[in-house]
Amino acid sequence: MLSVESIKKSFGSVEALRDVSFSIGAGSVFGLLGPNGSGKTTTMRIILNILNPDGGRVSWNGSAIDRSLRRRFGYLPEERGLYGKMAVREQIIYFGRLHGLHEPDAGKRADAWIERLEIGSYALRPAAELSKGNQQKVQIACAALHEPELLILDEPFSGLDPVNADILLAVLLDLKAKGTTLVLSSHQMWQLEQLCTAYCVINKGETRATGTLVELRSAWPTRIVRVGPDSPALRDAAGKLGATIAGSENGDLDLNVPANSDFAAMLRRFTEADSIVKFEVVEPSLHDIYLRAIGAAV
Amino acid sequence: MNDFITVYSGDLMRRIKSRPFIIGLLLGTFAIIAMFKLPTMLAPSIVNQGTRILIVADAPLAAQARPLLAKTLTVTGVVPAGTKIDRALLKRFDADSAVSIADAKNGIGVTIFAKNPTSVPSGRIRAALLPLQVQHSTHLTSAQIATALNANIEVRSLSTKFHSVHQAEAAQGLAMTLVVFLYILVILNSQFVMSAVAEEKTSRIAELLIATVDPMVLLVAKVLVGATLSVLQLLVWVGIGIALGPGGSGSAAGSANANPFSLAGLLGNTLSPEVIAAFILFFLLGFLQISTVFAGVASLINRTEDLGSISGPMVIPTVAGYFIGILAINAPALPIVTVTSFVPLLSPFVMFARMAVSHVPLWQIGTSIALNVLALWGIAWFAGKLYRVGMMLYGRPPKLGQVWDILRSPS
Repeated sequence: MLSVESIKKSFGSVEALRDVSFSIGAGSVFGLLGPNGSGKTTTMRIILNILNPDGGRVSWNGSAIDRSLRRRFGYLPEERGLYGKMAVREQIIYFGRLHGLHEPDAGKRADAWIERLEIGSYALRPAAELSKGNQQKVQIACAALHEPELLILDEPFSGLDPVNADILLAVLLDLKAKGTTLVLSSHQMWQLEQLCTAYCVINKGETRATGTLVELRSAWPTRIVRVGPDSPALRDAAGKLGATIAGSENGDLDLNVPANSDFAAMLRRFTEADSIVKFEVVEPSLHDIYLRAIGAAV
Repeated sequence: MNDFITVYSGDLMRRIKSRPFIIGLLLGTFAIIAMFKLPTMLAPSIVNQGTRILIVADAPLAAQARPLLAKTLTVTGVVPAGTKIDRALLKRFDADSAVSIADAKNGIGVTIFAKNPTSVPSGRIRAALLPLQVQHSTHLTSAQIATALNANIEVRSLSTKFHSVHQAEAAQGLAMTLVVFLYILVILNSQFVMSAVAEEKTSRIAELLIATVDPMVLLVAKVLVGATLSVLQLLVWVGIGIALGPGGSGSAAGSANANPFSLAGLLGNTLSPEVIAAFILFFLLGFLQISTVFAGVASLINRTEDLGSISGPMVIPTVAGYFIGILAINAPALPIVTVTSFVPLLSPFVMFARMAVSHVPLWQIGTSIALNVLALWGIAWFAGKLYRVGMMLYGRPPKLGQVWDILRSPS
């Protein structure tokens, strides 16, 4: 299990992290969310021991992260970088060796990854000759060749076309199935929702929300009830129930109600008030939770 | 250790295959070949420049002067005194200058008319005509003059280091050559180390590396790869020097009598084991000090274009060391030479040069080595701190205050 406890980090007078805490169960996929400059990358760098925190503690299965542990982790940084003149296969093997693999094994694994990522025709070409998307695939192979226990991916989907994004998604699900713990950041919420089992929203260097989607939703104080068709009788009944009107769209009425409302009783009251064909309790999306957590309007 | 071997071997292979290394090696090789072969090829034209002369004198004087001048110069003809001397005359006799000789009050009077006055070998003409001058001023016979002018001068060495003048000259020439090698290798390969660090930072691969390998391992591997390549270059160049030496014309210093690159010269006393050991040791100390500083500072830049602006000031100690080293070869006892042979960054050049041409007390050598090792430790600490933080520092280059904060921060 990865445990991040109240980490702090300043760069000169800039407080990058004030207080970030979360924990990740082994084998889970964890989404780190936050606007640009919120401290996600700094948090990732501290987890990987690239940066030392000014305060707080990071541990993996109870042990502080040292050099030997770090070899068992993988990392895909936000800013991609490869040796431009080095051949793709050679490069993947090199990073495998840096993570403790030996040459024949590293070579076999590199070949398997090259095939899996569909970059076989570039295997012997210098990395600089590849497109940005293909370079990113090479980097993913570099980061995951040694089957890391913990793989940290900073914006892994950025710069990938939909086809390559699907390939990456499949690769990550595969790694998850093999037991790799994944930590990833992305601004594409739908991709995170497909992958992640838990999340942490960071803003201005602080943890604003953390937990599984169910936990995050349960902490959300309101729900949207979509009922229709919209009518004066329906609005009147909603007012009597204490619901506020959130909006009206496509002939339906969106109502804002407390999360702990008795929805069965509410449905009965609406059917008594008018003939309705739609009654839907809309759970807050990850996007809504994120926006609310960072203090932006929902 | 495994990390180090992986990074070292990976970096070594990349650098050996890199264009700058191959070009540097080839250029160096061509330079060595040129150094040995060009003097041989150009020597006749350089040595013979301005040596074709026309004698302008009355017949008896011309008859006396001609054999004297012909010993070291080419006499293209003789014309009587009073002949009009102009460019057409010189052209007619294919001469560079006309040497007009006439009787004078206290001997002979000589006037030289040259197409190019700067190329006139006036010293040689003066030396050649000296017996004639003495004869005309003293009226002695030619035989008496020859005996009188043939002073037997012998130089005997009182130095405990060299047994002969030739050996001392050979050592000077060799020391000069090695100091030049030292300078080229240190500058060239330190710049390579700097470029490699800058490339990894600007291509953003540094973050990936630092996430896996300790930054100090990366730094040390990079510097040692530079040292390995330097030694490789040196071996290639010295090998070529040895191969060309026996047929060559001498060292870079142009020592005409000594041939320090001849196999015999290398195996003999010219290149003593102490000098070889000193060269290797001081080369390594100098290289490690300078390239480590270069690597540390290179980690602070964000664009490879900035390399030139930061490497400029850092080259100054190396250039200073080189020039004082050259000075030390000719004047090893100068106070500035003695003092700077203890100053890290300078002493790798200066102490080696002193050792090559003079007898340096053992305690001085030991002190210099100790100070250099101590300085290397300090430089590694300084560069390690910069490198660890600098490789992850993007955006505007740090100000001096920020660099100071980096150095003061805990590891």
